[in-house]
Amino acid sequence: MIEVRNLHKRFDAQPVLDGVSFRIENGESVAIIGRSGCGKSVLIKHLIGLLKPDAGDVLIDGENIVPMDERQLLRVRRKFGMVFQGAALFDSMTVEENVAFGLRRHEHLTEAEIGRRVAGALETVDLTGTEEKNPAELSGGMRKRVGLARAIIYEPQIVLYDEPTTGLDPIVSDSIDQLMVRVRDQLKVTTVVVTHDMRTARRVSQRVLMIHDSKIYASGTPDEFFASRDPVVRQFIDGVADVRKN
Amino acid sequence: MIFSAKKRATESLAGLGRISLLAKEAFLSLSTLKVAWNDLLYQIYFIGVKSQTVVLITGAFTGMVLGAQTYFQFHKVKMDTATLAVVGVSMCDELGPVLTALMVAGRVGAAIAAEIGTMRVTEQIDALRTLATHPVDYLVAPRILAGFIALPLLTMESICLGISASYFVDVHLLGIDATYSWSNMLRYTHDIDVVIGLIKAFIYGGILTLIGCYKGMTCGLGAEGVGRATTEAVVYSSITILITNFFLTLTLGKIASLL
Repeated sequence: MIEVRNLHKRFDAQPVLDGVSFRIENGESVAIIGRSGCGKSVLIKHLIGLLKPDAGDVLIDGENIVPMDERQLLRVRRKFGMVFQGAALFDSMTVEENVAFGLRRHEHLTEAEIGRRVAGALETVDLTGTEEKNPAELSGGMRKRVGLARAIIYEPQIVLYDEPTTGLDPIVSDSIDQLMVRVRDQLKVTTVVVTHDMRTARRVSQRVLMIHDSKIYASGTPDEFFASRDPVVRQFIDGVADVRKN
Repeated sequence: MIFSAKKRATESLAGLGRISLLAKEAFLSLSTLKVAWNDLLYQIYFIGVKSQTVVLITGAFTGMVLGAQTYFQFHKVKMDTATLAVVGVSMCDELGPVLTALMVAGRVGAAIAAEIGTMRVTEQIDALRTLATHPVDYLVAPRILAGFIALPLLTMESICLGISASYFVDVHLLGIDATYSWSNMLRYTHDIDVVIGLIKAFIYGGILTLIGCYKGMTCGLGAEGVGRATTEAVVYSSITILITNFFLTLTLGKIASLL
């Protein structure tokens, strides 16, 4: 379970998060939406301890991670897998080495067992046979899939996606959406997706949180969002630059 | 203007604090054996083996120039056969470790800052952290340990080649008596000179890798940030090595005189 209590974060004089609170239950799938630069990625990085808040608490399974130092956080992070916006694959390693990284670092497995787990993870993301390729040889969509395979290989309880479909064409975006749903259903993981793509939010999540003006502006099911008459929500869903035109 | 100077002083102190914390974390990682050992061998290869050409050329030509220049001065006072002794002591105490460290700082310090800096701006360091891996254990500690190991070895090579090159110039080109030259070199170059050179090289290995890692880990965003980090890594490593050399020369010289 993830619980965020009254989270505040500012960069220099600019407030990014101003009293954000919410709770995500185990197995739940939540999309965090909002305009570019509204603080979605900043928020998701607080959930895994990559950023420290100025004030507020982040509780993972009841344990407050805010006062923890980097070494204490390593233990908590083993509950997480994270897929980055740019995939963040280690470019000096092959696909196999990227995907097996967590296993080789933390689990005492034979190379045969690691190979079997890597093949299984790559099969889940439809990338069988790419083990020896370098990240530079992969397309944007393939890199995101490898990032996902790396995130799920050690069977985390929570998977975080930071803008998983940004920069991809609609067909590849659709395949990534399907993949996220498959991972959610097969592994029964808690899923948190940061996106500004409403189609992704609708497909993947059971609940949507919208950030606006550094706060959680609206919360509800995807259908409630699409039916909303709130001008700010409508502007975002309809993709209209000026709210008065709506 | 006063405000600007105060801000720069504060930033410098904060930087010193951050690099001290990074050093503490790296030594904690080394002392608790959390280092990525498989990466250590590669780093020793990268810092040690791949730097040999530049270090050996530097050592050889420094020895030859020092040998020739010392001869030209000593010849005036009929002290030709003391030339190689001066070269021996100079190469062991000062030129071997300092020039080796400066050359390696230019090659390796820049490469470390660029590699880690690029990893930072492409979120690879964040990815490491999400994979429950401490970046200091994986990126910093192996490089610092490799620096500690590789620099003394490179320095030893540089000293040997520098003295040999000077011997060649002195004896075969300038006509100094080979036996007296060699004998005087052995007489005035003591074990402690070699030990001082190796202690210095060990410390410089830590300095240049630590500064390279620090600059990479704290670099600004984008290509400009990586470029600046790379340049600063070389400049700060070189300046730190030269300043540290002065204090080490005084301290180690005093200790040696007591032995």
